[in-house]
Order: sequence, then C-alpha cells, then structure tokens
Amino acid sequence: MTVVTTERTGGGGGSSGLYDVLELVLDRGLVIDAFIRVSLVGIEILKIDVRVVVASVDTYLRFAEACNRLDLEAGPRQPAGLPDLVGDATESGARDKTKGALAGAGQAVSQATRGITDTLRGRDREPEEATASDDTGSRAGSRRGTARKSGESA
Amino acid sequence: MNTYVYGIVSGGHPELPSGLAGVGDPPRPVRGVRAGELTALVSECPEGLRPRRRDLLAHQRVLTEVGQTRTVLPLRFGSVSAGEGDVREVLASRAEDYRERLRRLDGRTEYNVKAAHQEDLLLRQLLDEEPELRGMAAANRAAGGGSYEARLRTGERVAETVRDREERDARLITQTLSPLAEEHRMGPESGGWFVNLSLLVHRDDAEPLADAVAGLRSAHPRLDLRLNGPLPPYSFVEP
Repeated sequence: MTVVTTERTGGGGGSSGLYDVLELVLDRGLVIDAFIRVSLVGIEILKIDVRVVVASVDTYLRFAEACNRLDLEAGPRQPAGLPDLVGDATESGARDKTKGALAGAGQAVSQATRGITDTLRGRDREPEEATASDDTGSRAGSRRGTARKSGESA
Repeated sequence: MNTYVYGIVSGGHPELPSGLAGVGDPPRPVRGVRAGELTALVSECPEGLRPRRRDLLAHQRVLTEVGQTRTVLPLRFGSVSAGEGDVREVLASRAEDYRERLRRLDGRTEYNVKAAHQEDLLLRQLLDEEPELRGMAAANRAAGGGSYEARLRTGERVAETVRDREERDARLITQTLSPLAEEHRMGPESGGWFVNLSLLVHRDDAEPLADAVAGLRSAHPRLDLRLNGPLPPYSFVEP
C-alpha cells in the first residue's frame, strides 16, 4: 500500500498537510441524524471561501505589486525561491498561495496520523485555532480579516 | 454519559487494536458496540467536547488505525449519541444500508489531492505568455510602479487571468488523476487551494496515482500539489 511520505509530497509543509487532512475530518464522513453533533463554533474559517476575495481591490493591487517585483527580463523558467521574491509578495495577500508552498521546505509529513501527531506533539490550541498550525494559523487570521473586510461570511 | 461514535465496521467481534486512544484529555479508550453483524467504534464523550485539533486528530487516528486491518465507514467528527442503547438502535435500524456501504468501500482507501499555484512562477508564466499583461506591467514599472488606476487595471487583468489558469489547471489535474481512481469527488474550494480532489482507490492501486502526481509536479513547476493518504474514505460514505 502506498503511504504518501515526505519524499512523495515534496512541497507543502507538515502544517498544510495537517490543514488539508483536518478539512476532511470536519467536513466529510457519514452524518447520522439520530446522533447530535458537537458544535463547530469557532472553526468557520474552514467554510469561508476566501477565493471569492480574489476579486477585490486589495488583491488587484497586490498582483500589480507582485508583477512590478518580477524581473520581466528573466524567463519563466527561472527557479522560484530567489531571496527577493520569496514570500513578501504574498504576506498581505488574501490567499497566500505561495506561502504554504514556499514555506514547505521543511519536513512535509502527510501520512495522516503518525506524521501529523509528531508535528503537533505537545501543542494544543483553542478551538478557533484547532485546525491551524503556526503557518496556517497566520494564514487563517489574515484570511479572516480579508474576508470580513470584503463582507464575506461563513 | 454520552457516547462518542467514530465509525462503523462490519463483523460482530472485530479485533480492535489494543490501547486505541480516543477523544478527550486524557484520551478515552475506544471500544466496540455490537448490533448484529455491525459494530460501532465508540468511546465515552468528554464533557464540553470541542473541535480542538487534538480531538480532530484523535478521531482521525482511531479511524486510520482500525482502517489498516478492516474497512471502516467513517462518521463525521463530533457525532455523539445519548448512550450505547441508541447506538445499537441506529445500527439495527439501518443495518442493510451500512453493510452495503461497507461492501462498496471494502479494500479501498481515499487519497486527497489539493493544488495551489506557486504564485511567482505562475505570474512569470502569465507575463511570458500574455503580451497584453506584459505590456501593462512594463508600463507600470517604467512609471515607477504606475498610478493607482493603472495598478488596479493591471491587477484586475492579472486576477482574471489567474482565475482562468486555475480553471485550466483544475481540468488538467482532474483529467489526469481521476481515471486512476474508481471514483472521485470534488471537495469544496477553500483557502489555500483551487483543487480539492478526493479519489477512491484500491489499497494496492495507489502507486500509479502517486506517480501521476509526481509527473504533474515535474511537468508543471507552477503547481503546488499535495497528496494525502491513505485516508479513511470520508468523501465516499454516501452511495
């Protein structure tokens, strides 16, 4: 049986692996009407489609800024990860798509149980942060802020 | 005391892994509650259970560990029953339905793929392939960044193009990977990914899937692909 391990997953840190899996735990699986459900208050962040925020003034300005920063003379095949490009274009972004990817140089352990438990050993958070690790936590925070600004809700 | 329910397995006397730790602090021991040919995996439900990461992981761990040796019908996190009697009643009343679902999932496991874009690489590619965008960006640079309106216009065009590329790449990923699975389900879009694809595969058939993901990665560096599995078949519990 294929277990997806560090070598296989490559990018995306253990944190995004965790976030990716917990989304499934929370949102899927069989619902039996006869059983009550634990309140999920405090983790609506998972329900927010922040990608709607793509169509916002903030995002437009951020994209324009990111394009300004790119060296137009350099070809598209130039490797990512140049120090002056990494991360900063996305710090204020609504989606922070690169952040997870570029922050993933650490160990990416996505095998859902043991690996994640290792990642989390000795740390516990309050419910609203239950699904976030350090990295996704800050992303969730910025996403929530952006979503509020744009009038998005769960 | 309420009963927390993790999932359902077939068989009257399932051998559960010893020392299976459930939700709560300290973790409540997991046991089986039997009704006919079905057994529910349950534990005591701690007072004030919330969706803390620790408990979400406990739910995931119980299903994963049991799932290594038998087929599990996973329940959604946070399913709580008033007691064992109610659990037995539910199992008995829907027995045929649950058995049918378990049969369909027998020997199968879920893999989940999430895709994002490496933004710098994507933007480079867009500027390289879209003369109009390249012109707008170059004009802004020449103007020391460009006026607010010019930046807004540029950014809006970039955003439109990014959306378009996301749709294209979503099709590429889905068309490449879904033939390697018996079934596939698209999950909700959310923060941090534009593809959320769950695939149901035979336990022994996951290698081609992992290879295909690796192939997409190397052929398309702009893609940040995350493959997770084997997972309990959360996305395939409904017929």
